[in-house]
Amino acid sequence: MINNNIKTSIATASKVIGNTWPLYSFVTSNPLSGYETSTFTEATKQASKHLGARVFPKAHVFKQAWDNNEIDKYELSKLLKENGLKKSPETYISKLTCYKEKTSENPFHVLDVIMTKWLAAFMDEGLAEWQMPNKTKGFYKSWRQLAKYDNDVSIKRTNDLPKTKEEALNTVLNGISEEDYTNIFKLHIAALPGWTGYINHRNQYDTVWQNTYPIDLEDYLAVRLSIASNLGIDINSILTNKPECDSVLQLQLIFLKAWEKTLQNTIVELVDTSKSEKKTNKTIETVDAQLVFCIDTRSELIRRHVEAKGNYQTYGYAGFFGIAMDYQDLKEGINRKSCPPILNSAYKVTEKPQAGKEEAVNRLEIKNDRDTFWNYFFRRMKNMLPSGFGFVEGTGVFYGLLMIARTLVPSKLYAVKKKTAQNHEAICETHCEPVTPTVGYHSMTLDEKVAIVKSGFDLMGWKTFAPLIVFTGHGSHTANNPFGSSLDCGACAASPGRHNARLLAKLANDNEVRAALSYKYNISIPNNTVFIGAEHNTTTDEIVLFDSQIPVSHNSLVADLKASLVEAQKTASQQRLGMVEKSITTANKKANSWSETRPEWGLAKNAAFIIGSRELTKGKDLDGRSFLHSYDWEMDKEGKALEGIMQGPMVVTQWINNHYYFSTVDNETFGGGTKITQNITGKFGVLQGNGGDLRMGLPLQSVNKTDTEMYHQPLRLSVLIHAPLERVNTILLNNEHLKSLLDNEWIYLMVMDANDKNTVKRYSKNMNWTWPTKEKKERKARPSTKEEFEKELA
Amino acid sequence: MVFKRFFNLPNTVTIFFTVLFVANILLLIFGGKISYEIEDVFRINTFTVLIWSVVTFFGAVISRYASSYLTGFKFHTKFMLMCTGFTLSVMVFIMSNHVISFLGSWLVMGIFMAKLIGVDSRWGEAKEASKVAQRFFFTGSAFLSTGVLLLSFHSNQLTIDGIIAQVNTLPYYVTLIASIFIILAALVQSAIYPFHRWLLSAMTSPTPASALMHAGFVNGSGILLALFATLLFSSNTLSLLFIIGGLTAIVAQFTKLLQVNVKQKLACSTIAQMGFMIMQCGLGFFNAAIAHLILHGFYKAYLFLSSGEEIKQSIPQKPLELKIKPLQAVLVLIFGALGALLFVTLTGKGASLDNSIFLTLIVSITVGQATYNIVKEKSLSTLQKLVVPPVLFIAGIGVYALFYNGVTLLMADLPMAVVPLQITTVEIIFGIIFLVGFFIMKLGFYRNIPWLYVKLLNVSQPYKKTILKYKNS
Repeated sequence: MINNNIKTSIATASKVIGNTWPLYSFVTSNPLSGYETSTFTEATKQASKHLGARVFPKAHVFKQAWDNNEIDKYELSKLLKENGLKKSPETYISKLTCYKEKTSENPFHVLDVIMTKWLAAFMDEGLAEWQMPNKTKGFYKSWRQLAKYDNDVSIKRTNDLPKTKEEALNTVLNGISEEDYTNIFKLHIAALPGWTGYINHRNQYDTVWQNTYPIDLEDYLAVRLSIASNLGIDINSILTNKPECDSVLQLQLIFLKAWEKTLQNTIVELVDTSKSEKKTNKTIETVDAQLVFCIDTRSELIRRHVEAKGNYQTYGYAGFFGIAMDYQDLKEGINRKSCPPILNSAYKVTEKPQAGKEEAVNRLEIKNDRDTFWNYFFRRMKNMLPSGFGFVEGTGVFYGLLMIARTLVPSKLYAVKKKTAQNHEAICETHCEPVTPTVGYHSMTLDEKVAIVKSGFDLMGWKTFAPLIVFTGHGSHTANNPFGSSLDCGACAASPGRHNARLLAKLANDNEVRAALSYKYNISIPNNTVFIGAEHNTTTDEIVLFDSQIPVSHNSLVADLKASLVEAQKTASQQRLGMVEKSITTANKKANSWSETRPEWGLAKNAAFIIGSRELTKGKDLDGRSFLHSYDWEMDKEGKALEGIMQGPMVVTQWINNHYYFSTVDNETFGGGTKITQNITGKFGVLQGNGGDLRMGLPLQSVNKTDTEMYHQPLRLSVLIHAPLERVNTILLNNEHLKSLLDNEWIYLMVMDANDKNTVKRYSKNMNWTWPTKEKKERKARPSTKEEFEKELA
Repeated sequence: MVFKRFFNLPNTVTIFFTVLFVANILLLIFGGKISYEIEDVFRINTFTVLIWSVVTFFGAVISRYASSYLTGFKFHTKFMLMCTGFTLSVMVFIMSNHVISFLGSWLVMGIFMAKLIGVDSRWGEAKEASKVAQRFFFTGSAFLSTGVLLLSFHSNQLTIDGIIAQVNTLPYYVTLIASIFIILAALVQSAIYPFHRWLLSAMTSPTPASALMHAGFVNGSGILLALFATLLFSSNTLSLLFIIGGLTAIVAQFTKLLQVNVKQKLACSTIAQMGFMIMQCGLGFFNAAIAHLILHGFYKAYLFLSSGEEIKQSIPQKPLELKIKPLQAVLVLIFGALGALLFVTLTGKGASLDNSIFLTLIVSITVGQATYNIVKEKSLSTLQKLVVPPVLFIAGIGVYALFYNGVTLLMADLPMAVVPLQITTVEIIFGIIFLVGFFIMKLGFYRNIPWLYVKLLNVSQPYKKTILKYKNS
């Protein structure tokens, strides 16, 4: 039996690592999630100690920000003064580095290398045709069976090793005081944080691979410590990572805060001016279509451009459209999560033929089977003896030709790809069933359908209905990109959100649902309103409508909308890519070029989350830096909708933001390193170069313009909510987790107090609020010349 | 401004190689028989231009790819210069006749490649990998120099052509020792066991450099062996090549099956393919070997350049059961035989009972394997099962034959490029070993041998010092 103390110690020690997500559903999460209950400062200190990681931007990044005027001098001086630092800001810029960064030899080098060999072999998800033997028995047992053949260690017989991982741990820990367990485990779990993070992920989400081939941290430690003891390595050696010197850490934090404060001031100014501007009162007759987009920062740009093309209103809503579901695709039959990982999936969605399209679906299914077969066929021909040799000779010329085509004309190939793609959306419709733990099939009840549709309108504060309402999910299109899924919808667990959008449209078009909404909740959707699912391709800014089932009466409306969307794609891509000519061709090229390492910027630059009506931001260029969730405080009397937004989307945006932050400040540790030397392992992750630790985050090319020049500004998320302050207070008091995220400074919160003339107030610790607008007045009186400025500082 | 943007280094390199490539192709098509000599130092013949075309093709494709792939990379310029240097040194090697330029360019080729492996000088492990590769390449150069200088000394010749012309007059022990050293140099270059570790440790190079390495560097051995075909015949070392190549082909192919990292998997595949190519040399088919190395270059460069496509969600799968109905088996046999017939007709190989029957057999089994998979597939209709296999093998064999015959034509200048030998016991025994390997793989026996798994896993690991050696502090 395993010592309980060991189990507890492992659980405590595992907090040093986060979750490593597989790249086929790459959720950007906080690598320091184990420390979210501590303050940001404390958590970063721990991470720096255990992982040897950098936790604040490098000095040259601050310098870049300073040179670009992203750090307000006034804010910086104020913060410096508060911390007793009296010299001019410029003096401190040079002091942001305290010693030259250097590398030292890894004290566990041999042990780490042997471990990565076995971890990669065991955790493979189908890249190798010849799997590690006995994997079904679990990591420790399967390694134990092979250990005697491994000449990296000197284990003579299998029986020299204890039969189970529990016994193995007891054996290696024999003679070590129990108080040291946690530290030992921390040390060894943190030695390969990427791999141990993936073990974490497999256990937490109980994946099919985990079910078939189990591995947990006990297995990991049992194997690792057994090898260490065999090689005579001292498992209790002292931590060697020294944290960066304290004075610099403090200074870096000050610079970071000043930078963040500068951004917050910009946002406050922006919504302030909106307030004073005259509101446009459009009546329902003039709105041709309403489009709902994901809260994703990339929606901001396209929404602005769509709105400018006609009588269109846009909304922001979490891209999973409020449906906690798994989606099973038609082609491979694999179940994918399609809602935020913080939610349990309540539904499973599959594809069913539309009425009268059974034959077409049948044909598509045969085609899909054949595609699967040809994939298998090619793999088999390449792998087998001697066909591998004959295959190369027979196909070499074709590979050569394809190589020329992909190098020279990627955008033309993209057009071909789109043309020949079999879009099942045109012949299928979504079919939703509850995932029930109890036996027996039951279909989705009317109440459930109504609840899903209603909650969407509630959260967004919907008032009127246009004849066309489009739910637009989003997905990216990139080629040869291991991180493709990191560009898909974060709210859908890194899947494209189109299926959620299609399902919501289907539910909202359901006459029974509409009737129930009308008599139960007094939400009456006009008869001529039609809902359509759609997808925004974030790489090319194209929006595709899944309109195969719309009534004929709406054809011309849809045709007009499509024309506007093409226009919007043109201007949006022009702005995004900073070019006037051929912006769409360039975007298509980026989408399909195999040599493109920066096909699009994903959520880089994200820094703010605005929860409120579109009127606050309409017509403003937010530079793709802000998540936008529609919300109308007047319609949400009890604050339920706001609570939902803060519990769900706000937490998801915090994950994304923290992930981008840490991937940027230490791309080697928290990110994926540069794409150009990545080596895919096991179909789910990347390594650098010859092997080593699994990489846990976004690659350099997702956050940096060049090796040294930043693109993403590493700032913690600033949330702005338009609602009465008391309502926000109540929600925070009822949700300890949310309050602690704020108190611990993982995110910032500002409220535009609807009960106090829309004054913007800023949360500071323990439910205290400050008034930035007051600060602003203070600031207006600030010295304008350099001399005055220095005088004041003195 | 536009001018400046267009004429940056990566674009210039791309244009440079594209122009060279087009010029070489034009020369091949319209140049007739090519034969130039520059003193005793260089000689350019049709074969030279053929290899130049291939090398400049890869130079152009890879520099074009790298110009966007490496955007923002601190060592982008250095990388482009190394690539250019490497490609040019290969070109110099191909046209070299004088012993000094021949050996010198071989050495420089290795230096450039090692530099590409360690191009990111900020990265400790990359520097280690670069040192490893450099050590191997120096060793390879030393082998080659020993072999060639030995011949040069004994024949009193300073040019490769001169040496080759004199080979038959040299004492046997000289040709034998020289052959062995030249073969050793070839094995280092192609990363054949026991010289395979540098290739498995070379993933620190940016992806396009790997493509160049696998399409333009490792197959230097094939060119080397083809140039010294006369020597290998006279020293009777072809059987040795055949056995080394054949064993490598089989073992590396098994090793490939257990790789979990995509780039190492591709590297094992390269080693197997190089083994096969050396086996073709051992059979006396240097032209087939050259055709193979070019085709493999296309294939492997493509797979490296698209190696980011291997991320995919999947579910655990059990190996498929082997079952076939009698009628399906008949079809497999018929198509296998037809494939062989087509191959023999189009390439002229295997017509008489010589070594080439071996190559024909491989084609026949490949066609059989393809047919086997197709006839068993449920989603295909009966008609498709009957039509698809012939369409595939006619296309595959047809295009190959065209290519092979083209290469053979262009290699006409090379002495003894094709000299089919009579089958001996060695080939027959080895043919049987090959078939056994095929059946072990087909039937999946290997899965039940854990010992073999660990041995092959360990033998294919990169050098430890090229992984996790350093930590940030």
